[in-house]
Amino acid sequence: MKLTATREQILAPLQSVIGVVERRQTMPVLSNVLVAARNNRVNITGTDLEVELVASSEAQVQQPGDITVPGRKLLDIFRAIPEKTSVTVATDGERLSIKAGKSRFTLSTLPASEFPVVEEINSQQTLTLSQGDFRRLIDKTHFSMAQQDVRYYLNGLLLETEGKTLRAVATDGHRLALSEAELESKAKNNQQVILPRKGVLELQRILGGDGNVDLAIGTSHVRAQIGDIRFTSKLIDGRFPEYGRVIPANPTKQVEADREILRQALQRTAILSNEKYRGVRINLKADLVTIQAHNPEQEEAEDQVEVAYQGDEVEIGFNVTYLLDALAAVDTEKVVLGLTDGNSSCLVRAPGAASSKYVVMPMRL
Amino acid sequence: MPIRVLDNHLIDQIAAGEVIERPASIVKELVENSLDAGAQCVDVEIEAGGVRLTRVRDDGCGIPEHELALALSRHATSKISAADDLAAITTLGFRGEALPSIASVSRFEIVSRHVDAERAASVAVDAGNVGELRPAAHPPGTTIEVRDLFFNLPARRKFLRSEVTEQGHIVRLLERLALSRHDVAFRLRSAARTLLDAPAGGGEHDGNRLARVVGQDFVSRSIDVDHSAGPVRVHGWIGVPAAARATSDLQYWFVNGRAVRDRLLMNAVRLGYRDVLYGGRQPAYVLYLDIDPTLVDVNAHPQKLEVRFRDSRQIHDFVFRAVERKLSGTRPGVSVVTPVQANDASYRLPLAAGRDEVPGVWAMSSALRGVSSDPLPQVSEPGVPAEFVATEVVRQPLGTALAQVHGLYILAQNEQGLVLVDMHAAHERVLYEKLKAEAGRVATQLLLAPVTIELKVDEIDALLEHQRQWAEAGFELERLSPGTVVVRSVPAMLPREDIAALVHDVIADVATDGATHHLDGATDRLLGTIACRSAIHAHRRLTLPEMNALLRQMEVTPRADQCNHGRPTWTQVSLQELDRMFLRGR
Repeated sequence: MKLTATREQILAPLQSVIGVVERRQTMPVLSNVLVAARNNRVNITGTDLEVELVASSEAQVQQPGDITVPGRKLLDIFRAIPEKTSVTVATDGERLSIKAGKSRFTLSTLPASEFPVVEEINSQQTLTLSQGDFRRLIDKTHFSMAQQDVRYYLNGLLLETEGKTLRAVATDGHRLALSEAELESKAKNNQQVILPRKGVLELQRILGGDGNVDLAIGTSHVRAQIGDIRFTSKLIDGRFPEYGRVIPANPTKQVEADREILRQALQRTAILSNEKYRGVRINLKADLVTIQAHNPEQEEAEDQVEVAYQGDEVEIGFNVTYLLDALAAVDTEKVVLGLTDGNSSCLVRAPGAASSKYVVMPMRL
Repeated sequence: MPIRVLDNHLIDQIAAGEVIERPASIVKELVENSLDAGAQCVDVEIEAGGVRLTRVRDDGCGIPEHELALALSRHATSKISAADDLAAITTLGFRGEALPSIASVSRFEIVSRHVDAERAASVAVDAGNVGELRPAAHPPGTTIEVRDLFFNLPARRKFLRSEVTEQGHIVRLLERLALSRHDVAFRLRSAARTLLDAPAGGGEHDGNRLARVVGQDFVSRSIDVDHSAGPVRVHGWIGVPAAARATSDLQYWFVNGRAVRDRLLMNAVRLGYRDVLYGGRQPAYVLYLDIDPTLVDVNAHPQKLEVRFRDSRQIHDFVFRAVERKLSGTRPGVSVVTPVQANDASYRLPLAAGRDEVPGVWAMSSALRGVSSDPLPQVSEPGVPAEFVATEVVRQPLGTALAQVHGLYILAQNEQGLVLVDMHAAHERVLYEKLKAEAGRVATQLLLAPVTIELKVDEIDALLEHQRQWAEAGFELERLSPGTVVVRSVPAMLPREDIAALVHDVIADVATDGATHHLDGATDRLLGTIACRSAIHAHRRLTLPEMNALLRQMEVTPRADQCNHGRPTWTQVSLQELDRMFLRGR
């Protein structure tokens, strides 16, 4: 293999894929990236066997070929090369040589045949939506995913198609986030898949440009083409809980508040909540919310926020982190909290017909 | 075969089966009779593991000549006379079964002289056939000789173990009896060998007697317990956690002077040791429970090994708390073996006591050795009174930190020499005790989707029996169907753990020991896990002030000698030991 390219032509794809390359590996080849050169393009692939990223860019290919080299070292080298330098990359026996100006590097390699790649994903349907919509869907839900829960199916994001709607749901058993986006065209069939946590976080990193995403859903993988990057992730094989039942249909008590003011009050109070479980007590009276917190050192915080509320007095405890996460994800000026009583879940959403909903279970303090 | 009434001889032999199991049973019955007769000296002689000969001689009150034959008939006793006596038994025996039972399965001879009698009398019994009353020579007291045990019952004889084993049983039995009465002299001989020689000791707590029976090692590593409440008093010795053993062989319980192996009492002690014992180690203890005889029924077990308390729950808690309270005092600087007369409420600091007398000398020697935590004030402020320096140092039994060893241990020096502290284990215990002190009302996180757990029907029954404790711990449980239970809320402190696995673990606990304290245990375990996770880990660099702070915290933390898994947290290398290593001063 031999190719010539500018520093940036190699660095950009390399930076896109390096996130999935683990530094410490039991399989040495997984700390490598696959560099494939043909048809005047160079493709760089990184994988952790769960998420695979392929990024490509233009290059002058003198001799097509595939080789794997240590990913981090390759990245560090290209970062350190002066900008706009023309670089020649060529295999030299078992080694890969890199020449840039007066700098010379020789890297160890492993054969491309040892590198695990996902070839075909048996796509059953392809969904199209804008990158921005998809990014928003993830931004508004990802924080509710569980981390290393024994219920492995919670350690990911549920993607569900229903007609023209793509819905994302995440829950860790204490709170739930749901958000919906519109597809370009009606989905072929209604389907549920669970994208693993790592894949979700990688997608969040890549998404954000203009243009559309084509999301192909296969039997055990999903694949998305996002600009020059191809994202492939395994799916979690499991049944996601029936989230519909835990979303309160008609909370009896509706509180409308200025989102930013409420959020800041909660943040202030949270400083003196118990560090372990971050409990705050919320007292609801006509047009007034009082937030209280105290910790084992008997330090106390209290804050009040004026809200629009007509109804009986309610007292309810929450893990303040859950409330803050939900409030941060709502992007309207006002926010509506729907409550029933001190032992039932709380629904957080934007006023009107909201595309995102947050459910937080209370805490008995 | 037609139904008929069995003859008396056969009845005796059947009854003997219950009372007389092996030679040790004979020794037990006879020695208990001696003790009930007020003997001051009990002499036991055996041959061939007690099978060929068991002779018990005492200096008790003896039996009058005219009652001697009566003593050998069934259900004849001087210890009780009316049914009411059964409710308040103060003697070891009371059934009037022992002598006829023994006599029916052996060649038996009794020689006795009543204290007021002029002469002694003897009666021989051969397999239940009572011989004639004959005059004999004997000092006041009774001697009973049992020869050829089970000679007329080959079926039972076959079940006897080897001589060595039977002899071992007798030795252990007599040790137990010796511990039950420190004021009585006991001696056991087999052929010409003396197997046990315990001269009469003074008072109810005789360290010499204890050392003679269970060994000096236990004595030097045990704590004195004496705790009473109303009609109940528990006293004796409990081993420090570090003296725990692999087996339960050093666990003695005496209820009103009677050796018992009662599950309730043993369980209570084990619970007291709950979070200071390592793995499956067994505590060592010698404990006496004195209780109003009307509150306990000793007539509950053929060998009287188990007793029934009128209020078992209360006794259990009483013992548990006495042990737990005593153990919570095991921390650096608290003397392990307290003086015998020490009253329960006060822990004495022998160091502090000793130093107060000679503060000047102490301050001087500590300064010379460079032990003083901060020698500077002595130099810059010569006006500091010596007492001040002394008390400062004395309050720091773990001394001052010198360095960290391999990121694992803290090296410190105190007035005795070097101190090594396992920093993770020590910090773990400090955090654990703090968490336990804080844990009062638990904050509960309600679950979005309840966790469903499938269990056996009886397991759920057992689980829900303690629903209140579960709720107090923060778990809201509800039975969905006979075989399913759902968890609707969990303690907010609980890190995202596998709730189903946790519930299963607790159920296994209930099944194995049936204790009602299991949920406390589960919460404690939970806190223990939290403490373990939040404690400083190996290779964390500590500065000297941090290390000193940890040492000071250890000194005020209960049970700081052990981490919550029961591993020791610190050890002392004394100057003498160091001197020995370098052959100094020889």
